[in-house]
Formats: sequence, structure tokens, C-alpha cells
Amino acid sequence: MRYTRPADVDGVTAALADGDAVVVGGGTMVVPEMTHGRVRPSAVVDLAKAGLAGIARDGDGWVIGAMTTYTELARSNVPLLATAARGITGGPQIRNRGTVGGSASYANPSSDVPAVLVALGARMRLARRGGAREVPAAEFFAGAFRTAREPDEVLTAITVPDTAAAPGYVKFKLVEGSWPIVTAAALAGPTIRVVLGGAAAAPVVVELERASWRARLRSEVDRLLTEPWDDVLAPGHYRARIAPVIAARAVAGALEEA
Amino acid sequence: MAALPARVGIGSSPRKRDGAALLTGRALFLDDHRPEGLLHAVVVRSEVAHGRIRAIDTAAAAAAPGVALVLTGAEAAKHAGPVPYFIDPAARGGNRTDIRCLQVDKVVHVGQPVAAVVAASRHEAQAAADLVRITYDVLPHVLDARAAMAQDAPRLYEDWPGNVVAHNRYGSGDPDAALAAADVVVEGELRIARTTTAPIEPRGYLASWQGDRLTVHASCQNPHQLRWMLSVSLGVDESRIRIVTAKVGGSFGLKMQGHPEETLVALLSLLADAPVKWVEDRRETLMAGAREQVHRFRVGATSDGRITGLVNEIVADIGALTAQAGWAMPNMSATTQPSGYAVQDVRVELDIVCTNKPPCNAARGFGKDAAHFVMERAVDLVARELGMDPAEVRRRNFVREFPYRTATGLNIDSGDFDGLLDKTLDAVDYAGIRRGQAESRERGRYLGVGLGFELTPESSDSPGTFVSGFDTTTVRMSVTGMVTVLTGVTSPGGGNDTGIAQIVATELGVPIEWVELVQGDTDRCPNGFGNFSGRSMVVGGGSATLAARDVRAKLLAVAARLFETSEVDIRDGIASGGGRELPVPEVARALLTRAFAIGDIEPVLESTRAYKPGNINHVPDELGRIQPYPTYSSSLHAAVVEVDAETGKVTLADYVMTHDCGTMINPALVEGQARGAVTMGLGSALSEQLVFAADGSLASNRFKSYLLPRAGDIPLLRMIHQVTPSPFAMHGNKGAGEAGVGGAQAAVANAVEDALAPFGVTVRGVPLSPPNVLALIDEARP
Amino acid sequence: MKLTVNGVEHEIDVDPRTLLVHAIREQVGLTGTHVGCLTGDCGACTVVVDGQTTKSCSVLALSAEGSAVETIESLADGDDLHPVQQAFWDEFGFQCGFCLPGMLLTAKELVESTPDPTDDDILRAIDGNLCRCTGYNTIVAAVRKAARS
Repeated sequence: MRYTRPADVDGVTAALADGDAVVVGGGTMVVPEMTHGRVRPSAVVDLAKAGLAGIARDGDGWVIGAMTTYTELARSNVPLLATAARGITGGPQIRNRGTVGGSASYANPSSDVPAVLVALGARMRLARRGGAREVPAAEFFAGAFRTAREPDEVLTAITVPDTAAAPGYVKFKLVEGSWPIVTAAALAGPTIRVVLGGAAAAPVVVELERASWRARLRSEVDRLLTEPWDDVLAPGHYRARIAPVIAARAVAGALEEA
Repeated sequence: MAALPARVGIGSSPRKRDGAALLTGRALFLDDHRPEGLLHAVVVRSEVAHGRIRAIDTAAAAAAPGVALVLTGAEAAKHAGPVPYFIDPAARGGNRTDIRCLQVDKVVHVGQPVAAVVAASRHEAQAAADLVRITYDVLPHVLDARAAMAQDAPRLYEDWPGNVVAHNRYGSGDPDAALAAADVVVEGELRIARTTTAPIEPRGYLASWQGDRLTVHASCQNPHQLRWMLSVSLGVDESRIRIVTAKVGGSFGLKMQGHPEETLVALLSLLADAPVKWVEDRRETLMAGAREQVHRFRVGATSDGRITGLVNEIVADIGALTAQAGWAMPNMSATTQPSGYAVQDVRVELDIVCTNKPPCNAARGFGKDAAHFVMERAVDLVARELGMDPAEVRRRNFVREFPYRTATGLNIDSGDFDGLLDKTLDAVDYAGIRRGQAESRERGRYLGVGLGFELTPESSDSPGTFVSGFDTTTVRMSVTGMVTVLTGVTSPGGGNDTGIAQIVATELGVPIEWVELVQGDTDRCPNGFGNFSGRSMVVGGGSATLAARDVRAKLLAVAARLFETSEVDIRDGIASGGGRELPVPEVARALLTRAFAIGDIEPVLESTRAYKPGNINHVPDELGRIQPYPTYSSSLHAAVVEVDAETGKVTLADYVMTHDCGTMINPALVEGQARGAVTMGLGSALSEQLVFAADGSLASNRFKSYLLPRAGDIPLLRMIHQVTPSPFAMHGNKGAGEAGVGGAQAAVANAVEDALAPFGVTVRGVPLSPPNVLALIDEARP
Repeated sequence: MKLTVNGVEHEIDVDPRTLLVHAIREQVGLTGTHVGCLTGDCGACTVVVDGQTTKSCSVLALSAEGSAVETIESLADGDDLHPVQQAFWDEFGFQCGFCLPGMLLTAKELVESTPDPTDDDILRAIDGNLCRCTGYNTIVAAVRKAARS
């Protein structure tokens, strides 16, 4: 196995262009996968020195480097994402090391970041040798552990537009140590958007009117959540059952309703 | 006669004596030993739940980089015999099978050892292990105990009549008549899901041979039994085997010996002619089951809440049979009923059943936990049926006269169960919670309180086995006055070394800093049995006391000679008498350097003593019952929970445990044991469960899917102590360490049922995970 | 590669797949950092990398080249225990001690970054560290005591 730690994005994309390489960000997901033989790459590209960390303002939004850690996010003012970052499971060691770009690229259905990015209308900046593109978060998350990123691409940054909508975030876990079972990221503006994480293979977007959200929420979730995520922690029917509950709590939180 | 030493040391809480080494990272655990030339082993495990081994292709593995040895079961069987049982089922009238370090013909669970690879590094060993190709004739498998009891079920061990290891019946009186005559009879079911002990340090062994002598460093609770076991399986005389188990990173029963890898690693080292170490991967540790059983019970009571009869049918799923002690745990689930309640008409039917899952290994509680859990559920169901308060039903049934012979033959030494109940209800503000409950329900909040009483027989002695109710300690004073204590009991982390040092220092009358403890080394320590069944302070402490008293007596005799008076004393390291004082080291030196001047006192400042506590009786009574426990700790638990009825999530709001383990040698260490056991019980009550896929592979194979409690899950566990000394143990102390598992399970289950009373929910199992609780609510809804 | 642990630079040979925890334990020879799960869940392998606690089972050794790594062995000053160590000893914040190095380094990071932590801060801080012996109560008490000392 080859290991490279390029000093910039060009170096990263050059290393990825060669073929079957795995990108390591914070390492909290992919390194244990390698240890247990579930990922057997011929090359590892480490982003640690590629200059991809940090949060910056850009016009009317945020640019969040892919290597920005949960700890940095938690200290920021990025709506929803800062809240989600503070509640990441695994302790400060994971929050110090795990990155928003790594979590997005891993696309574990049972994780906080994908649904939050979709709720925020974030855009994912991907780079490959000789080119770059942006993909809306809603398209980026293609399924369980699947994204729109091609093997020769690297996620470099995530842009998040400012929003005047009020945020609400609720994460439901079985106990402290479990993956999230269902998360709900809500933004309440003129209309309400709540995005469910953990409930299905990819984030589920629910759009609601302010006046009727309580009446409509359950049926909308039922309509959209046709294939709930099922794993050893919780069966799909349980996720489907509590998804409207968690969504309602997130919306109520955004609206500061009890 | 000289005055007894002041007992300043016993009952105080000096800090753990091994603290400095542990706090600075200097302590050496098993995996920290890295002798020159060390090779690493990886075990190749079955990937099928049931199958005949057709072929094993080791060629690619053997040719892989760094590989020193690839061993198969057939080859291993040429060098090593079966692993002897810790508790042989045949000795208990059950079925047995030969347990091999590597399977030869057949596998009966996913994860069973089939081959092993030894290489220069762990990584190379793993890479080579991945190249071992095993082909199986796959056989049908069975993962459920009930299904395994069917006539046509797949048979794990073909020479058995079925999959049942043993069927046993326990109890006395005429429970059928008692139930027929009862004012009310309630039926219940309790399903206890499979959990695991999961110490943070996995199991591991390091074997090396020096000529024909074998040394094994082991993360193990019972070094002397391990020495015997290796002696039998390898055919090596015990005198040529040394077991060292210096630091163990938690165990909780898992690291009692009897695992195939113990023999395996010793054999690998022999064949590779080099030191070989094997340490479990976490996925391997998580395969070890702790308990899995279903109870179906009927309990009869009078209209005023007196329980008159109990019938309980237990089906215990132990997975594959093991030489480890774990398979025998369900016996204690039976014999510990009906706990500390005065019910003499009892019948417990027990089936211990094998399925194609990994074996159950010994686990804190050792099955006694399940006995308490089922009794506490039965009591709550009686209360509910009669419309009585559950606390009151407990009070009406407690045993109050001691010693008390239970229906299953146990002889409860002492206790004050009413005192436990009063203290617990008071501390938890039971009346206040009951008052507040109605109001919070109106606001859509579901608060509940549940009680769990626990009677924990400890320090067991099983005749004819290495489950021993006595132990042995040497106390030795050197010419400098320093004291070395060598004891047969071991400490996997609980701190009995500190407790024993307290006792020895107190008995001798010297500062605790002078006392050095040596445990877990078969070449240095006297014969002993290690750690299990809450025994270490009872029998380790008792034998240390006897030995220390011998040494003290000798010191006093010397001091009397030196001071020319019979009125002598030793305190705080100073001998005094006749108006004179002399530091103890000078007394020691006087005896050991001027033995002829001192006169007719034998110049040995050393004593080795065994301590056998009272109350053990192995002569079967007219019902064939024996009495294997000297002491019975007791405790009463109250859990206060809030249940989110929309998600099923249970949150612990408060927890009180009133604990009576008799005299406490070191109260802080007792509390540590109790909190650890309670937390283990809370985990199994709420979140822990080993889940198997349909193919028999373990689905919950890491700490994100096997959910141990984390700090944020556990409220302040409030500890209250009651001291009812045991008349049968040296210092009046009873076992501590297991009490808490069953009490916590019961208190939480009862609290959840109480919280959800408006829905009419009946709890029938654990874990009460959110999906399971929501299912209960749904099921109860009209 | 060069790996700087507790202020000492070590020249070691590693395979690219070697984990930081194994490099520290096996190449550098500091065994106070423990292996409990190798999945980033238990926290026994916690070390400090460039001032931040990290689970060293989830980091490739090569990723730590050029970083300053601190382990449990750096916490005490000779025979003088760090206040966090002393607090854990005084409050019985451990039993078997296997999770202890990770707990101590995590606790140290908290008390250094949060002068007067709430109980909630403490619980969140040790959320990534499993202990199977204590039930955590005494650990929380120890961190609280350390924060006050």
C-alpha cells in the first residue's frame, strides 16, 4: 500500500488520478475499516496537509473546508451544522479528528452530517485532476455509503448559503453510544423544511407549510419514507414510526414551540 | 493474652495500592509483555454455524511473508488432548463432549477455532490467516433453544440424545397444591437476551517454553486452575508450568479459564519454538455470551399478598458447550430461587440447551441475577393482581429468621431485608414519587419507580471441582520488617489486593505501606483458586488474617522475651511492653539474626494458612440438596425512570441501592464493585444485546452495535450501606461484586412497567430498548 | 518515519497501514496507551496529537509524522502525579485501570479548556471513553475534583 500526504489539492487530485486510492480525512471511519480488512486500498491519500481545513465567509454564505473538524464546526456559527457537531457521538477525540468532508463522503445513513447539509441547501465542491464541479447536497447523497463523488474526485469544500430561517435540530439515539437512529434538521422560514437523517439510506426532505405543518407532517413523512433504513440497532418499521415524532420535535424547536 | 490490634485499617478506604503504576501507564497488562523473539498468533475461525470440515488448505498461508507456523485441528490433536472442564457436565448427570483447542472434524458455531497462524507480526499473521481456505459440508443449524429442543432439530453433538445438556428439577414442598389453593395465581414470562461481559481489555495469552518448562502470561482470573488445565490438555507435569496473571484489565467472569486458546497458544509456542502471543480482537471478545434464558413462571398468593407457591420453567440457551464454567450458570438461576422470600412450595424445572451460537462464558452474577430478576417480576405481578403496593408485597414475604433454609436448599446466613426496604424507600422518596406520578401523567410524562431485591449467595464451593470455597495465603515478614503477602486469590481490577493489605496491616499492627501483595503467580503464591463468586475478601481475607495472626503471635512472643514481660502489644509498627518500645523491624531482626540468643522460639516469621468459612454443607439432605455458599449478601434497588411514550426511550432519573455485604473491609472498593455491577445490570436492562444474523454470525460486533452504557447513560447511583455481619465469615464480611446485576435489571423492568401502567403494559423481557418498549406500548393499546 | 512522542523524536520503520497506536506501543515501546477495540469506540488508545485528544487506533502512524504526540507517560512529572491523576486516585476513578490512560488524557483536555466544567460538560467529555468497571460515577467525581484543583 502506498501512502501520500500531498501539500495541496493538485497533489491530491494527481494522486487520485492513478486509480484505486482511498482518501483519508480524519481517519475515524476509514482507518478502522482498513484495520478490519473491509477496505483494502492499494494507495492512501491523506488530506491532512492539503490545506482543506477552515471555515470562511464568502459573500452571503459559508465555505467550509472538507477537513474542518467537528470541534471547529462546534465553535462556529454555521446554523444546524454547529449544533450537530456538538452532539457527535464518540467523545472529543472523535470531534477533534472527524471531519465534515469525511462524514459527507462516507455517507453513512446513520450519521448527522448528510441530512444537515441537505437541509441547509449546501453545495459540495469536488475536484479532480484538471477540473472541478459543484453538486447540490441533495444530489450528492445517492444512497447508503454512496455519493456522487467519482473515485478520482475529492470533496474539497462545502458551501452553505446564509438562511434567515430558524433552525431546529433533534437527534435520537438509543443510548449515548449508538449511532443516530433518526435525526431531523429543520429550517423554519416562510415555509418549513425538515430533513430526516438515519431514517432511510439517504436524507429524506419534507417540505411543509407553516400553517398546516402539524396536521400534515405525519402523512408527509409516511409518504416520503417508503424504504426506512434497517440495521442491527433498529428495524425499519421503528425508524418509520419515530421519524414523524423526531421531525415534529425539530420543527417545534425551530419555531420555539413547546 | 495480648489485646487485639485496633481495627483502624478495616472499614477505612485507603486508595488502591496499584494506583501509581496504573495512573502513569507503567502497569504491564498482557499485551504489554514483548519478550525477545516474540511471534504473534491469529486464530482462524469457522464462518459457518454448523458444518463438517471437509478440507483445510493452508498452503498459501504457510507461504505468506513472516509465517512461522500454520496449525490445523488434526495436527493439534496429535499434540494436545481435550481441554478439561472447569465443571464437567457428566459429573452433574449431563451430556458432555470433548472440547478441543482447534476443531478436528466439525464446527458447531460461527467463530469456533479451526486453525491458527503464527507469524512475526500480528499483521502478517492476520494476512496469512485470511489465506487459509476451509471447505465445509454445511449442516442445518439452530439458533433458538426452544427449536433446538425439538426432536427433529439439528443435533450439535451427534452422540447425544438431543441438544439438552442437562434437565434438572429443584425445590421442595407441593407447589401444585399451593397454586391450586392460592387466592390468586399469576403467570408470567421473562426473556433475558444474550449479553456479554466485555471487559475493556480483551482476553490474551503469551506462552513461552524454556526447555521443558512452560511459562504462560495470561489475562486470566484463575492461574492455578489454568495450570492444572494446561497440565491435563498438554500432558505436562504441573511442576513444569508457571502461570502469571499480574494485571488484568477487567474480567467479570470472562477470563475464568477453560477457553480453547489457552491450550492453543501454549501448543503454538511449543511447535514454533518461540514465545507466542495471542490477543483477542474486539470482535472475538464480543462473541462470548453471558446469559440467555427464558423463564415461564406461575406464582400463587393469598389475597393479602403472601406468596404461597412458585413454579418456574427455565430454558437456558448456552450456545455451544464449553469447558469454561459458563455453561453451568443457569443452575444458579434455579437454585437461587425463591431468593429471600419465605416460600417453601417451589418447583424449578431447568433445561440447559445447546444451540449453534458461541458458548456462554461465566459472567458476573453467574445466573443468580436471573433468579432475582424473575422473582422480582413475580412479586410485582402479584402486587398488580392484588392492587397492592409492590413494596408491601415484598415486606409480607421476606425471610426474617436466620439461618433460613430455602426451598432449593440454600442456607441464608443472615440479613435484614426489612431494613434494606425501609432505607431504600426512604432514600428514593417512594411516597413522594407515587404522589407526583399522577400529576406528571396528566402532563403526558410517564414516570415510574421500580424495586428490585437481591439475595446474592457468594464464595461458592462446588464439591469435586475447582470452584472452591476456601483459599490460602502466606504472610511473610522479612528481616527488615517488611511484609510480603502471597495469596491464591487474584484481582482482575476490583482491588482486593488493597483490602487484603488492610487486613494484614491491621492484624499485624504495622503500617499498610510495609505490606506488599503478590497475586497471580503459581510459582510464588500458595495453592489457590483465584477470583470468582465474590470470594476474594472472604477467603483471601480470611486466610490472610489467620496467617497474619500467626506472625503477630510470633512477634509478640519475641517482644515478650526482649522486654521480659508478658504484657506486650504491637501497634503502628511499634512493639511495646514493660515501659519499653521497639520498632517491629528490630523485633524481626532480633528473631532472625539472634535466634539462639532469643531462645526456644522457632525463627520463622512466616505462616501459610487456608481459610474455610462456615455454613457450607455438602452432605445432601433428604431432598438431595446441598448448601454450597457461606455468605449471602443482600441489596434492595430502586430505579426511577421516565419513559418517552412516543419513542420508547427509557431515561434513568434516579437510582438507589441499599447494600448489605456484612462488614466492609474497604467501603470505597465495595461501592466500586456495586456500582460496576449495577451498571452492568442497567446495560443489560436497557441496551445491551448480542444479535445474531440468520446464518449464525454475530451482527452486534463492535461497540457501536453492542451498546455498553456510557457516562451519560448512568445517573448518580446512590449507595446506602447496611451492615449485618455474617456469623460464618472471619470478619463478618460477605461477598461483594456480583450484587447489582439482577437487582438493577429487576428495578428497571419494574419501573418501566410502573411508568407505563396507564397503557397496561406488561414487561416480558430485556433489553427494554426503545424499539422493544414502543412495541410493548403498541401491544397494550386497545 | 520520524515520530515525536513526549518530546522525543523516534526514527521508526512502519508499514503504511501501521496504526499510530501500534507505532507508539510496539515501535516506540510506550505501552501505557492501550488497545481496546480498534474501531474508535472505546477510547483506551487516546493520545494527544498537536494539543488535541485523538483515538490513536483511528490514525495511521504516517499521518502523525511532523506532529507532537503526547501519551499517558508524559502526564506525571517524575514521581509527582498530575492533578488529574491525583484526583482519579483520590476518588477511586478506576478499578482495573485499563481505560484509565484514555480517561486521564481526555479529562486533562477538559479541565485545561474548561475552567469550571458542569457535570454535563464532564459527561460529554468522557462520552468517547468506555469503562466497564466503575459505572462512571467516581470518574465524574474525579474530573470534577481535578477541575477544582
